[in-house]
Amino acid sequence: MTDQLSSGAGDDVRELALAAMSKTPPAPPQLLHTPVRRRSPWRAITGRTLLYVLLIALAAVYIYPFLIQISTSFKTEPEAALNPLSLIPQTWSVAAYEKLFQRSDFPLWFANSTFVTLCVTVGRVFFVSLAGYALARLHFRGRAFVFALIVAVMAVPTVVLLIPKFLVINQLGMYNSYTGMILPLLADAGSVFIMKNFFESVPVSVEEQARVDGAGSFRIFWSVVLPMARPALITIIILSFQGSWNELAHFIISASDPALTTLTKGVASLARGAGLGSGTQYPLKLAAAIIMTIPVAIVFFVFQRRIMNSSAGAVKE
Amino acid sequence: MSALAAPPAGATAPKPSPSRRRPGSGIRRGEGAAGWLFTLPVILILAVFLLVPVLMALWVSFSDWNGRGSPLSSGVHFVGLQNYAATTTGGGLAERNFGLALRNNAWYVVFVVPLQTALSLFLAVLVSRQVLRGRGFFRTAYYFPSVTSSVAITVLWLFLFSASGVVNAIIAWFGGNGPNWFSDPRGLWAVVAGWFGMTTPPAWLTQGDFLGVSPWEWIQGPSIAMSAFILMAVFTTSGTFMLVFMAAIQNIDPALAEAGMIDGANGWQRFWRITLPQLRPALFTVLTLGLIGCWQVFDAIYTGTQGDPGKTTLTPAYLSYQASFNDNQWGIGAAIAFILFVIIIVFTLFQRWVLRDRPVSQRRIRAYQPKAARQNGATR
Amino acid sequence: MTRHTARVATGAGAIAVVAALALTGCGSGFSSDNSSKGASDLTSSNKPLTVMIGSSGDAETKAVTDAVDAWSKKSGVKASVIAATDLQQQLSQGFAAGSPPDLFYQSSDQLAAFAGNGSLKAYGDDLKNKSDFYPSLVKTFTYDGKFYCAPKDFSTLQLVINTDLWQKAGLTDDDVPSTWDQLAADAKKLTSGKTKGLVFNGEYARLGVFMAQAGGRLVSEDGKTAEANSDANVTALNYVKQHLNDGTFAFAKDVGAGWGGEALGKQLGAMTIEGNWITGAMSADYPDVKYKVVQLPAGPSARGTLQFTNCWGMAADSPNQKAALDLVEYLTTSDQQLAFSKAFGPMPSVESAASTWKSDNAALVPFLTGVAYAQSVPTNAGASDVVNDFNSQLATLKTSDPKTILDSVQKNLEAVVK
Repeated sequence: MTDQLSSGAGDDVRELALAAMSKTPPAPPQLLHTPVRRRSPWRAITGRTLLYVLLIALAAVYIYPFLIQISTSFKTEPEAALNPLSLIPQTWSVAAYEKLFQRSDFPLWFANSTFVTLCVTVGRVFFVSLAGYALARLHFRGRAFVFALIVAVMAVPTVVLLIPKFLVINQLGMYNSYTGMILPLLADAGSVFIMKNFFESVPVSVEEQARVDGAGSFRIFWSVVLPMARPALITIIILSFQGSWNELAHFIISASDPALTTLTKGVASLARGAGLGSGTQYPLKLAAAIIMTIPVAIVFFVFQRRIMNSSAGAVKE
Repeated sequence: MSALAAPPAGATAPKPSPSRRRPGSGIRRGEGAAGWLFTLPVILILAVFLLVPVLMALWVSFSDWNGRGSPLSSGVHFVGLQNYAATTTGGGLAERNFGLALRNNAWYVVFVVPLQTALSLFLAVLVSRQVLRGRGFFRTAYYFPSVTSSVAITVLWLFLFSASGVVNAIIAWFGGNGPNWFSDPRGLWAVVAGWFGMTTPPAWLTQGDFLGVSPWEWIQGPSIAMSAFILMAVFTTSGTFMLVFMAAIQNIDPALAEAGMIDGANGWQRFWRITLPQLRPALFTVLTLGLIGCWQVFDAIYTGTQGDPGKTTLTPAYLSYQASFNDNQWGIGAAIAFILFVIIIVFTLFQRWVLRDRPVSQRRIRAYQPKAARQNGATR
Repeated sequence: MTRHTARVATGAGAIAVVAALALTGCGSGFSSDNSSKGASDLTSSNKPLTVMIGSSGDAETKAVTDAVDAWSKKSGVKASVIAATDLQQQLSQGFAAGSPPDLFYQSSDQLAAFAGNGSLKAYGDDLKNKSDFYPSLVKTFTYDGKFYCAPKDFSTLQLVINTDLWQKAGLTDDDVPSTWDQLAADAKKLTSGKTKGLVFNGEYARLGVFMAQAGGRLVSEDGKTAEANSDANVTALNYVKQHLNDGTFAFAKDVGAGWGGEALGKQLGAMTIEGNWITGAMSADYPDVKYKVVQLPAGPSARGTLQFTNCWGMAADSPNQKAALDLVEYLTTSDQQLAFSKAFGPMPSVESAASTWKSDNAALVPFLTGVAYAQSVPTNAGASDVVNDFNSQLATLKTSDPKTILDSVQKNLEAVVK
């Protein structure tokens, strides 16, 4: 959830979380002798059944809201109010999606979000891996200072930055422009940290080889080290995509032009806008929320398998 | 935080290269320039969009800028602690709003942090069990809500917890009568007190105030509306923290569990005495991030209730935004942001202190010493 | 401090100072003081105009967009209409960023705040049809001796009744309430099942009618004294509280509606207290519901209601104020205002349209009758914050003590009126 983990520190956790998903637990300990207390097989089976029941019940609690969301988006408004619990609509209706795509600015919001997210992801991955490599492997004066700056920045909670970022963006003349929306998101302290840690684990000998062969720093970075960084890069790509697609506060303060509205701001305005004369329109709002979630869900499902493996040895030690 | 992202085993520490002595020559020439060039984009962006804004906000919080023109222009004056005073002691609406926001967020933290930590630990332990089939499915199911944006989840929650929504329908199925969640400003403890017959607060609790909020209002607990947000927070973040705990559990040396089993400890004892202490760094991370995150609730309030009903879902982060962007009181908004900053730092440091590695107490040491030594009165 | 830390701190400080100085230099280049321009000093350029409105629904948005498009064709200046989701916040942000819309709905209670910090252009004296506006409306939009903006329309609140439910409950024209007791009795008869007798928004902008009917007001007519905790106001709130608790009155949010009109349309309430704009919303969203507008009853004192008015605010930072002025004059002509009225109901702000309006909108005449005994909302700078706080306290009216609520409002208002 972006609220809680939007500071740079959160990225560290997410990276760890993503890494955890690819690991399997260690094998159970081999007992050298029978334990003092004998555990009857009957108790073991009840225990296991209980475990599964618990897990499935909890999974149901976690999944059911989304299923209801999908089914409600296909209901008519009166039915949504009358039959909130049912998972199958009595009359299937795509009125909500119709209204969303034809009579509102939703396609524009989607396009804006896509454009901004792609730019931010590509840009951030590039800048962050550059900086991470420099901090890990290049020796230059003031390296410690830069590192300290990044660590310090990670400690600043984003709420403090809400007002002043608006002022700075305005002063620089970037307000109400794509530049103002994209540029500030291109650097993220937590991601630099992740890349730096990864590059530190890459054996130095690979680079030494390349230097002996006469390659410059950028060449080494681009052609030698970066290809080896695929697992970390994928992590950063996922984090950047998720972070910028789900970002709200920054888009509130960096632009107010309706032509620049992103999905988060647009859907939030749908949710807030129920005032005089617009009614509650749940199917519409839920449909908007679903479509907004789909890209992030796809990225999540596709990439969750291909994360952080231990670095494939490019050097025979 | 960074302690957990350790390099995988097998990486050797690089030997100091000859360039350390002569950075300007040899095969590593140009490395200094390259280093600066590589980090320049990140430095520039972080400095301009993170560092400078903090300083600018500091200035605005000490000034009387009214929203027109540049805050650094000549027409803006330094007013010292006036904005901070208005927010904390002014006696007017600014103080009361801040007091209410603090109260709401404090109760939110009190409920969310323990609940989400406990739930994510519970899920992690369950899903990490050796004999689990479909582990991937359960992991995905619990983690999925964390992937969605807070806007999407808030929209879903507004629907689920509406007056005639899903949650109330389920409660009705069990014979109860659910409240009008997002429109109910009654505090949780006030509702409970009502069940025991205490419908109006005793007079001594309504006298006096701290930050413009009476003691009764302070201890009322989160409102029903805020409780819906609390449930939402636990729902969305338990997945992420579950993965943190899972990573930590998998890193526990299985030999420890084996030793425990040999000594005859049952599952519960093994968990409390062996597993949990090993999870201390992960617990620390989860608690720290939970605290930091909980004090910054903004997106959900902006999308959902905007502080209503009755200002019981107002949080300092949203109040800071509202004071500046809605009410044109930029100085007050900036002051609130900085006070919040200090609060977060204080909480984080306090939590760090509470969970520090303390030397084992004498009493505990004695419990592990052989009987003979104890009987000889080795009471040091 | 170690040498390392000292170096880090110096480096950080150096970067910050340099960046801050750079920012002071390359600002977006507007002066911080625009109020030196005289009233007839309007800017002119060929930039397109943006008009931002706080719409009451699709009917209003369409009507305004059509009118602005017609003017665009006539004058050759491009103009676009934006319906704001949060007018107040978008205006604030626009002013702070130096890129506000050229024209926008300016409410009477926010005039003081925006005029006070120089965001508005006072163009009232330049209006060709200045003399046609109702004097009381001109007064509302005069701040610091300057007539700031052209009133675009005005509305009052009255009682709106669902005629089908009215008849079903066995009520006739004689039962149209003229006293508080009658209103309570009618609401009781109309309450059945999910439908409550009287449903309205739980805010001062609706409850204030009861305060007016009891003879009380928030701020004295000259705006110099706070009168929030008068006995009359306490009586009014007690009346509402009593009937909220016996189930015949309800706040819109508590029955699951976003506003009174939605409650009326979805039959969650048989009566509601709303203003002229309800016509547009009902015909667009709930065309099957038949309703009629009657005068609100008299309370212990006399009949009373609230009056709302907005004006066309013009931004001081607008680059094309001459064209904006022309657009305002077009939008406030008698004919155009009557067209707006047909679409979404409010009463024209020009006296010349009054008789035509009455004959065109016979069903809405009670709104116009209400003008005789209507109060306006407080316009002091900072009063809207107090009203917001009042509204948040009203959310708990069912279980709170009205005197306590009004005492706190009084305290806050006293800080504002001095």
